[in-house]
Amino acid sequence: MEEVDNIIIHTLREIGCGLDDDVQSLKHFSTENIVEATVKCLRVIGDGVNISPALPPGMSARYRVGTQLATSCQELGFRGDIGYQTFLYSNEADIRRVLMFLIEKMPKEAAEVASEPMGKSAMLKRSIAAELDRQMKSAWTPSYCKQDGLCWRGTKPRQWHREGLIGVRRFHSCPVRTPEGVGDITKKIPKDLKRYYDKHLQPLTSQPPQSSQVVPSVVEANDLSVTAQQEWEAEWNQQGLPSRLSEEDYKARKRQRLEKRISDQLRQAIQQETSKATAGRDLLQVLSSFTDRGAGKGVTKGSRFTHTEKLQFAQDEETAAQMMGEGPRVDTEEEMQRKREEEVEQLRGQLEEVTGQLQSLDVEMKKFTAGIQQMEEKVNTEVRGRSDKEEAYKVKKRTLDLLPDAENNITKLQGVVDGSSQRLVNLAQQWEKHRVPLIQQYRELKELNANRESQSEKKLEEIKSLREKMKEVADEARGKDDVYKQLASEYERMTKDVNRGAYTKRIMEIVGNIKKQKEEIDKILIDTRDVQKEINQLTGKLDRTFAVTDELIFRDAKKDEAVRKAYKSLAALHENCEQLIKTVEETGGIMREIRDLEDQIETEGAKKTTQNLDRIMGDFKQMKQENSGIVAKLKGK
Amino acid sequence: MELSAEVQEGLQLCGDSAQISDSAFNFLLKAACNTLLHGRQRDRGVLDDPSVSQSDPSVLKQVFASLTTLFLEAAKHNADSTNTSSLLEDSKMSPDRIEAFNNVYMSNKIELQSVLSSTGSGFPHVVDVDWRLDYYMKNNHLDHVNEPTYLVTLKTEEPGSSQLKDVQFACTVEQLQDMVGKLKDACKSMEKASQS
Repeated sequence: MEEVDNIIIHTLREIGCGLDDDVQSLKHFSTENIVEATVKCLRVIGDGVNISPALPPGMSARYRVGTQLATSCQELGFRGDIGYQTFLYSNEADIRRVLMFLIEKMPKEAAEVASEPMGKSAMLKRSIAAELDRQMKSAWTPSYCKQDGLCWRGTKPRQWHREGLIGVRRFHSCPVRTPEGVGDITKKIPKDLKRYYDKHLQPLTSQPPQSSQVVPSVVEANDLSVTAQQEWEAEWNQQGLPSRLSEEDYKARKRQRLEKRISDQLRQAIQQETSKATAGRDLLQVLSSFTDRGAGKGVTKGSRFTHTEKLQFAQDEETAAQMMGEGPRVDTEEEMQRKREEEVEQLRGQLEEVTGQLQSLDVEMKKFTAGIQQMEEKVNTEVRGRSDKEEAYKVKKRTLDLLPDAENNITKLQGVVDGSSQRLVNLAQQWEKHRVPLIQQYRELKELNANRESQSEKKLEEIKSLREKMKEVADEARGKDDVYKQLASEYERMTKDVNRGAYTKRIMEIVGNIKKQKEEIDKILIDTRDVQKEINQLTGKLDRTFAVTDELIFRDAKKDEAVRKAYKSLAALHENCEQLIKTVEETGGIMREIRDLEDQIETEGAKKTTQNLDRIMGDFKQMKQENSGIVAKLKGK
Repeated sequence: MELSAEVQEGLQLCGDSAQISDSAFNFLLKAACNTLLHGRQRDRGVLDDPSVSQSDPSVLKQVFASLTTLFLEAAKHNADSTNTSSLLEDSKMSPDRIEAFNNVYMSNKIELQSVLSSTGSGFPHVVDVDWRLDYYMKNNHLDHVNEPTYLVTLKTEEPGSSQLKDVQFACTVEQLQDMVGKLKDACKSMEKASQS
């Protein structure tokens, strides 16, 4: 029974019964414990139980609680004898039976549901809920008691949460630079770059202008790099590999494409702009509008037109200022001024003339140079014509020379022609000889090339499939990792005080014990059967011997008096023996009865009847008092 | 947790005892952690120390940058020591150094996370409230108005400023009750969220 009690007490503790630690078996259960345990069990089984787990002080209320518990147990299907007395005036065996019944009835799905693996989102939700719970439970702190809006709680593990926004800054990052490839000896880095890394580049955390920007900058730099790499990989897998270019080539081609697109767009935009422009606005104005937009540079890089304009205006102003300043000073100088101006005018005229001459000369020179070129071309064509004509002349001369001895020469020529045609045929044959193996070689090479191409294509396919597989495997690994983490956390969350091993061992021991007991019972049964058989045999023997002797003596009894006496005493003996056996059997029965009664006495004693009786008497008295009190109250009213 | 190629390169450098000696490694760990936690010592002298004088300054800078990034990324992803150790094992770091890193990281993880939490934005946070009850008796058009009016001033914290800002409004009793009801609803839904 000890194991059963242990299991019951363990289960009761699990569902939240406040049992003391020294309660080891059901014997130690008080009435309060029993009522609480039953109510908790009923609550776990079904929601509709609204009995308070604490025992009320009043006797009548207690009685009501007891009856309620009994009826709800019966509703659940408890078949034994049950009533208020089972709970209020308990005995161990009844309580054990009731509690075992209730614990068996308790739903086990709750545990099964919890053991199902949950998704990532559920885990996240749960951790969010836990965090929220923690933050809601922590006490409020005035804002001036917190440093940077952080609430620190506890020591080891320290916990914190943010309350308020005092220390919070917006995400503001700036580009940071770190040395790259300095540890790789095989890769050379330029000397200047190395010097920059060594002497002038600041450590990462010193680069952002404000300390609050360090964290965002570092995080952003890493994320940028990671995403750039991922995008490049994706692009390379999708477009780069099938294009069969090396990485550098692919990049160069992409850059070209992009540059071309940009320049096309720019050109289009310019065209649109110029077509839209009205007659008065020329390209210069468009350009100047561009330069005006670029605020700083626009001023220094004005078009030439604006420059000259500016200069002219400036000059005019200056001369005007001069005239204004000099006018009233000296009258005689006016003439000089005029003279000078005239002179200047004259000189300017001369200058213009000279420049005009110069320009016309320039034009002439250009004309002449053009003429020279033309002439040269002509000379060239003439020279070419001459050499052609000379050739023709030579041929004609040869034929003229040959004319007098025409027939001879014709045959000779025929011979020469035949020889040369022969030679040609020879050459053609030779060429054919050379050509055949070359063509063959060419074909072979072509085939080889095709093979190689198909092979490389195959390999490409393989690489692709391998990449996909890699991705799949990585995904799978990640998924399995997640599941593992989840299960690990689940395992941590699980209560570990259920020592299943111990339970199974106990159960196995019990089963073993029961087997042994069964064997013993079997042995005893066999023994009793043997004994029964022996008894039967003996009685049979006895009957037979008695019958034989009875017959023998009865036959002689008619003749002899002594034998008659012997027969009488035999009959008496037989009768007495039978009586004796009967008595022995009766004593056995009585002994058994006595044992039964003793057992009954023991069980009754275990039921704490006297104690319960005392308690019933006490409760009865209390009830009487209560009743009399109520009556007194009623009368008082 | 994903790290860029540069950072991984730096971590591999970091595991190379020919480039970074043990004492230099320990110093770098502490320097990276401390500059993140206490942003004040941000001058160039972060890496001036006798223990690192033998190392190449550009190597030091790269290693320092990678360690800083690793600290931040690990804290950001709430990584535990198994995550970081597997990551560092991939970078061919020796077990001693991995343990040293994990010691520094695990003892400062919570502080690092608190530093991370100081970047962001949020709605103004109410920390205090002033209020006054006025009785509105009449105006130019009506002789008898006779309504109570609450003048409420909420003191709020806003990101990026250390001063409290005021949010002022006036409301009637019903409006105030409505607002209180809304606040209670919000509280309840928070409780519900915390128990799910």
